[in-house]
Amino acid sequence: MRKNLLAIFLTFFKIGAFTIGGAYAMIPLIRREVVEKRKWITDEDFLNGLAAAQSCPGPIAINLSVYIGLHIKRGWGMAMAVLGTVLPSLISIMVIAALFTQYAEFPLVRKAFHALKPALVALIAVPLIQMTRQAGLNWANFWVPVLAMVLVGLLGISPIWLILATILFSVLQGLWFAKGRK
Amino acid sequence: MYFILFWTFFKIGLFSFGGGYAILAMIQQEVVLRHHWLTQSSFADVVAISQMTPGPIAINAATFIGFQQAGIPGSLLCTFGVILPSLLLMLAITLTYLKLKKLPWFQNIFEKLRWLTLGLIGAAVILIGKGAFSDWFSVAVFAVCLAVYLRFKPNPIYLMLGAAAVGMLFG
Repeated sequence: MRKNLLAIFLTFFKIGAFTIGGAYAMIPLIRREVVEKRKWITDEDFLNGLAAAQSCPGPIAINLSVYIGLHIKRGWGMAMAVLGTVLPSLISIMVIAALFTQYAEFPLVRKAFHALKPALVALIAVPLIQMTRQAGLNWANFWVPVLAMVLVGLLGISPIWLILATILFSVLQGLWFAKGRK
Repeated sequence: MYFILFWTFFKIGLFSFGGGYAILAMIQQEVVLRHHWLTQSSFADVVAISQMTPGPIAINAATFIGFQQAGIPGSLLCTFGVILPSLLLMLAITLTYLKLKKLPWFQNIFEKLRWLTLGLIGAAVILIGKGAFSDWFSVAVFAVCLAVYLRFKPNPIYLMLGAAAVGMLFG
């Protein structure tokens, strides 16, 4: 499998150019390209990267690009992945800002989004079902993501509190086990 | 002006957790309420355009606001500002990960974070779903997409293009 920088750039450019709706809509496409098709990183590293990208401040798509780029080819890989993710945005937004500021009001665009939005929900929901296995979910810990989903999605609580609580809990758990072994 | 644009978006990138939607809220705080670069209604346009254009929502919004404030250099500066904290922090996190990923206590943190990850994606499904289901047409599109995606596992790009075409014709 070739890992040259151009391939990294083009892969991320394609992902950036063809996904609407932000990082969560990109996840299935990134996974398909980077894990399944090109086998640049393992599924486990990808899922851990997703967890890290969500736990770090900033745009999740950029965080994930940095992580994956570094895994593939160190600093240059990171630069290419981030550039690829950012460029489609830069180009399309500059064109819209310069020429069509009423873009979101165009009847044809509105009609397209009438169908695109529910399609997007399906697109994000399906990998969620598929990822439950790799994430190590079972009947005993299933309440964790469900609770997080309710707290963040319905009650509007910032994910940062859940991230900090999770990290704190797992560090304490780690210390507890280390002590138990002595 | 250039420096203020860059610095404002640097802060936005540094202090927003949870991706695009959290960043939009932060942009509103800084750009509308604090600096008065945009009115509330033109901010609503920025939100719509950012969600309806390819690419990360936060990058779209930063590029758009930067362009309105200071042309192409403004676009570049705002975008660079919003991603710079990500570059530095994720670089540190990833290098730490590569170094420590064999250690059990470190793996344990990621195991627990992975559970949380699914919850946060679920929350995104709820947030996007709130604005997506307005009538029977959208419910039908959702059902068809779900069935097609589960059954045939097509490239997500084709699914999106197909949905957009269906919307333009029948939406």
